[in-house]
Amino acid sequence: MSKLRSLLNCEGLGRRDFIQTGLGALGGLGLSDMLKLKAQAGAKGSDTRCIFVWLDGGPSHYETFDPKPDAPSEIRGEFGTVPTTVPGVHFCDKFPKLAKTFDKFTVIRSIAHNQNNHGAGNHYLMTGRPTPVPVGCGAYVTFHPSIGSVVSKNREVKHGLPAYVSAPRMSRSGGPNFLGAQHAPFVIGDDPNKKSFRVRDVSLPTEIEDGRAKSRVELRQSLDQLRRITDTAAEDPAVDFDDYYASAFDLITSTEAQEAFDISKEPEKVRETYGRNDFGQRLLMARRLTEVGVPFVTVYNGGWDDHRGLFDNYKKTKAERVDTGVSALISDLAERGSLDNTMVILLGEFGRTPKINKDAGRDHWSFAMSVLMAGAGIPGGQIVGATDVKGYYANENIYAPEDFAASIYTKMGIDHQQTLHDASGRPIQLVNNGKLIKELFA
Amino acid sequence: MNRFLTVAAVALAVPPVSAEGDPTISFTNDVLPVITKAGCVAGACHAKSDGQNGFQLSIFSFDPDSDYREIVFDAKGRRIFPASPDHSLILLKATNQIPHEGEKRFEVDSESYRVIRQWIAEGAPRTIPNETEPTGITIDPPALSFKKGETRPIKVTVAYSDGTKRDVTDLCEFTSNDAAFATVDHHGKITAGEVPGENSVIVRYVDQVAAVRVVIPPDQLLPESEYTALKANNKIDEFAYARFRELGLFPSAPCTDSEFIRRATLDAIGRIPTVEETKRFLESKAPDKRAKLVDTLLSEENRFDYANYWATKWGDLLRPNTQRVGVKPVYLLDDWIRRKFQVNTPWNEFVTELLSASGSTHRYGPVAVIRDKREPADMAEFISQIFLGVRLNCAKCHHHPSEKWSQDDYYSMAAFFGSMKRKGQGISAPISGEPEFWWFEPGGTVKHPVSEAVMKPRAPDGTEYGDTGDRDPRSLLAEWITKPENPYFARAMVNRIWAELLGKGLVDPVDDFRESNPAVNQPLLDWLAKDFVEHGYDQKHTIATILKSRLYQQSSTPNEHNATDTRNFSRSYRRRLPAEVLLDTLSTITGDPEKLQGLPNDSPAMQQWNHLLPNDFLDAFGRPNSSAAPPLERDPGGSVVQALHLMNSKVLQKKFAGENPWVSELEKLSPEESVGQIYLRLFSRSPADDEKRIALNHLGTEATAPREKIENLIWSLVNSAEFVLNH
Repeated sequence: MSKLRSLLNCEGLGRRDFIQTGLGALGGLGLSDMLKLKAQAGAKGSDTRCIFVWLDGGPSHYETFDPKPDAPSEIRGEFGTVPTTVPGVHFCDKFPKLAKTFDKFTVIRSIAHNQNNHGAGNHYLMTGRPTPVPVGCGAYVTFHPSIGSVVSKNREVKHGLPAYVSAPRMSRSGGPNFLGAQHAPFVIGDDPNKKSFRVRDVSLPTEIEDGRAKSRVELRQSLDQLRRITDTAAEDPAVDFDDYYASAFDLITSTEAQEAFDISKEPEKVRETYGRNDFGQRLLMARRLTEVGVPFVTVYNGGWDDHRGLFDNYKKTKAERVDTGVSALISDLAERGSLDNTMVILLGEFGRTPKINKDAGRDHWSFAMSVLMAGAGIPGGQIVGATDVKGYYANENIYAPEDFAASIYTKMGIDHQQTLHDASGRPIQLVNNGKLIKELFA
Repeated sequence: MNRFLTVAAVALAVPPVSAEGDPTISFTNDVLPVITKAGCVAGACHAKSDGQNGFQLSIFSFDPDSDYREIVFDAKGRRIFPASPDHSLILLKATNQIPHEGEKRFEVDSESYRVIRQWIAEGAPRTIPNETEPTGITIDPPALSFKKGETRPIKVTVAYSDGTKRDVTDLCEFTSNDAAFATVDHHGKITAGEVPGENSVIVRYVDQVAAVRVVIPPDQLLPESEYTALKANNKIDEFAYARFRELGLFPSAPCTDSEFIRRATLDAIGRIPTVEETKRFLESKAPDKRAKLVDTLLSEENRFDYANYWATKWGDLLRPNTQRVGVKPVYLLDDWIRRKFQVNTPWNEFVTELLSASGSTHRYGPVAVIRDKREPADMAEFISQIFLGVRLNCAKCHHHPSEKWSQDDYYSMAAFFGSMKRKGQGISAPISGEPEFWWFEPGGTVKHPVSEAVMKPRAPDGTEYGDTGDRDPRSLLAEWITKPENPYFARAMVNRIWAELLGKGLVDPVDDFRESNPAVNQPLLDWLAKDFVEHGYDQKHTIATILKSRLYQQSSTPNEHNATDTRNFSRSYRRRLPAEVLLDTLSTITGDPEKLQGLPNDSPAMQQWNHLLPNDFLDAFGRPNSSAAPPLERDPGGSVVQALHLMNSKVLQKKFAGENPWVSELEKLSPEESVGQIYLRLFSRSPADDEKRIALNHLGTEATAPREKIENLIWSLVNSAEFVLNH
């Protein structure tokens, strides 16, 4: 446990006060603070999990869920459309399987913002907060905890499992910021499509046969003799050390957790439906992890910044993999009865420019983007909002990234209006003036 | 100077409706205090950056003119209704008669309600005739002594410019500096906790801040005879014992020689001692062998370890992000810092050089700092925090919530950096590849953001410099900082050194010196600072003085009087080894150096100069966030990920089970000798009888132990608290 320093903040509450409050020592807290804390406590009881599929670089809204077949050709692009399960609603024809699964998810076509480069766009969508200062396009910045890190802070997980997993890497701005390293994502870097796949560090090294591993663990236990200072007021890090090792052993010895990590336990037929590629198998891994209780899993998929050759790029594997993998994930969750408590979200940091550029690409366009959301009571077959006839601007039921973040938190039982405190003790709203996207709560 | 934001009287066209003549309720002196007290201007409510539901007030009411406009004119004036004051939105909302997200802030029949109602009824004037200005608040009594658990009230009085006074206790906000130590309610009633000590309760009346000292003496003091037997190695001990007497604390027993050599070597030069160093020390019979060891650790022979270790700490504080200022400037700065520590540059020189840096970012390391902190305000904030221990950053936008600092102080400090010119590429993240040149040119200005006055350079509580002419104001600042009588610099520096060696600062956090955050032992801090100045700002001298004290050499095992002391240093506090130290130690003992990007092969992690370079181990063990701006924070705590990584990671597995020349040596020894060597290497001690028994039981009874079993033993001990912690 990192020792929180007693600090003052601009609101006059020390961070320590929050711990105290948790223990029931209510100092000068107003009623609304108490209610908020109550709501926070309630979050521990929420069961909803989230698989956050991140298409880094910004997928085109035209070539995914918001095609404009009637727009002039320099906007329309070369792809056609495909009908979905809902009459009158069409997707880009590169996503036929998702079109057939549309009865199980909502597409929001009207999320818009003003952070038109990758560094800032990633930050806005990954944390629900714009960067306080302009940042460069290639910047990897963090000014606020990511949604996954906030979930990690608010949710307890059994079997010593991590609360926030990211594969195959942490996304930009996907870190914990001032929440501290224990809320950083647990990164699963290996490719689960490979035979040699292993989740790092969660099992005793395979080079070591079972008997030896066991005897090492026992030896360790009997030789760790530094005297512990058991009085909790003494704040002995050796006592925390024991807690962490106990959780680590929980994870190592939990059959449930270890089975979840072992993707080879999955029937070959199921693995096929997700696509036998790294991305598809990561989605499957995410399903296995959320099913044993990991509340937040990010699946990162790079390479969506198509400034040139967009159409050729989409014709290669990436659109097909997303179409196959995400539709399989949603259908699989539904069949297994897990969709009710598992959200699936698919997005990038922004949409793409309406006019196709000279390199047959589209550039950054934050004024309209499409986001797929499924599960946890989100209606199926629903389109929320719209862009204008040429797809330039979101013009109906426009939502901001704050609204998006507030809705995810609410679905996960986390009070989006709570106040956090940064390293200097300054109070910071988790989400600033977020409104719920009401269509997700129908 | 007047720490108040001067309120300009603004003529406003509000119709006078008061029937009884002149209005009596002052917006500044009556209404704003009520609004503040009700919590409306909390940082999370209407005072956050874009307000709450369209209603935005200034934080701590630092901008009364803007607040007035917001209340009286904004939202088409519907927030007040002079014709029927009770129907004013501001009252209906605050009393929750109209649904209010912030719920009910006060009752209809409260004094708060009456004040605002009457002000509205009087026409809601911006000022009233003969309006006075608050000149300061006083707390009665200024210090309080409590029995454990006792509750006592305080009274707060504000004085006005016309000489009148008023009890404003009920209009103040109260915050305990440490709620575990003492709590305070909305009416200024303070309740002491159960642990003896001293701390403060902060009182804020609108934008006036003061602190009241809270003392909880121990239930019983120990007999004086207990202390007289204690040995004092130097002045530090005398000051510490004096404090322990007052607090009824008794220091832990001295640590063992084994504990001392491991702890001191880790703290001074960032590694564990070698077997030879340990043996030599343990076998020595010299009565002053601990002092001698300290001198050896700080001598020339260890200067590279010393420099790398301390430069790693200072790199966290000073080194900009490579993605912001470019790789080469950061590398040069890092190199500059390391060289400074290699020759133990006095801190007054270090600061002066850093502060007066000019030239090319691609030729001279220190220029990277100003390239990073480009605006005068950024540099002012940074230098104050790092070298003065003063956090001015709150005062950038509003009066500091728990200190006297105002925007005047903030922008006066910024004025030292107002005459810097630059030429070159500027910042173009992620790679500022091209050089930038920085130099001083007279004539630049820094303006106060609200009053727009041109600020004259002045350090916090320092003298104001007039026209600086052709002189670089930065050199005036350096001169002021390094004057022996400077109230901040030496204290801030010895406090930082203290915190590195003992786990916490005498003032903690180390960069937050303020009246309301007192040192746990002020005489000790004062003496250390004076001694530091007298010895030419020599860091090694101060480190040696601390390491040689009896206080530093205490055991981390508590006695019956000090287990709950986590603040007064009556026992040694255990700390986890920093990421780089741990990784280097593992690389050294296994003979398998870590491959680190950006560094030549076989370089220790302690030479890492860029937290962006990937390394799973360093990430797991809490190196600073690679994308943050300096000063960077580290998470000193443990985590499940750390436990998993230390036990199971492939990289460490390879280190343990690889060539490992150490294990090859151990293989040649008898199991008993082998166990002895392993304990000496990892823990600087011999195994206890039962440890030896368990270890030998594992290694077996053959003449030599199998390699695999030796590896098991090392693995087991590495995964123990005694290894991972400095204790």
